[in-house]
Amino acid sequence: MMGLVILLLRLVVGGVFIYASLDKLAHPQAFAVAISHYHIVPYPLLHLSAHLLPVVELVIGAALILGLAQRGAALIAGTLTVVFMAAITSALIRNLDISCGCFNTDGGHAVGLDLLWRDGILLLMCLAVMLARDPGFGLQRFFRK
Amino acid sequence: MDSGRGGATVNNSWSISFREAGWLLLVSLAATAISWSLRGDGLALRADPIAYELELPAPLVDIKTAQVLYEEGEYLFVDTRVRGAGDFDTIPGAFFIRDLSFDDDLLEYFDFMTTQDSFILFGDGDLFSVANIATRMQDRGYQNLLILKGGLAAWQESGGEISRRSGGES
Repeated sequence: MMGLVILLLRLVVGGVFIYASLDKLAHPQAFAVAISHYHIVPYPLLHLSAHLLPVVELVIGAALILGLAQRGAALIAGTLTVVFMAAITSALIRNLDISCGCFNTDGGHAVGLDLLWRDGILLLMCLAVMLARDPGFGLQRFFRK
Repeated sequence: MDSGRGGATVNNSWSISFREAGWLLLVSLAATAISWSLRGDGLALRADPIAYELELPAPLVDIKTAQVLYEEGEYLFVDTRVRGAGDFDTIPGAFFIRDLSFDDDLLEYFDFMTTQDSFILFGDGDLFSVANIATRMQDRGYQNLLILKGGLAAWQESGGEISRRSGGES
């Protein structure tokens, strides 16, 4: 039963991250602009972040769904979620009227408290997957001795 | 004994997580490197602060990269300068899209340009006027835009190919 719950959580979190990566992969320039609006990432790292982050999201999303290295994927997903929450909090404190850039590089959802709630739930899901005794069905079972 | 075993299980989970995370990040780095080298979409690894501080609607591309993209033929060049009646120099094959005749210019090239194409816009070095054209093109659905840093003057100085057009030509 627990394995089934964790499998469900993996599918949800994995699906969210894969979906989040798609528009960013298609429009790296627009994503770089979205990142720059937060005024957090220094310019020398801006384009590197715009290239790397969507790929990381895609890889960990696929890993979670396929059940490969799911604990590591959940750790990265949780860490990214914490980073996003910190960025959103920072934007809110500085009263930046900017779009989140979470799923859509062209306009999209403005930063707000609702995003923090959403990310908080996502973080809890990531922690559950990472710490679960039984991570649920996945391809990793076929690689175990 | 149970709490000890539980503690060991949690510690084991963390160490497995870190190890797997390391592998996943390595895979991601490799995939990013391969993707970046194959894409050639013009987004340089290093961002130009000017483009972001001026909040330009499209990234700047330096002359060297623009010349490589010109040779590859994947990008269409757009001349945004206001022209007089006499002969003038421009980048060979450039389309002319100007602020005052924007709609007419787009209509003229309707059969030759699609929103899926990639463009490099250039002017006489004035970033704001080129940025204005870029914004208007983006509003019409043209998303893959770059702005040539330094304009036509910088292109000529670096030995880029130039063609001469007559004043009435479009």
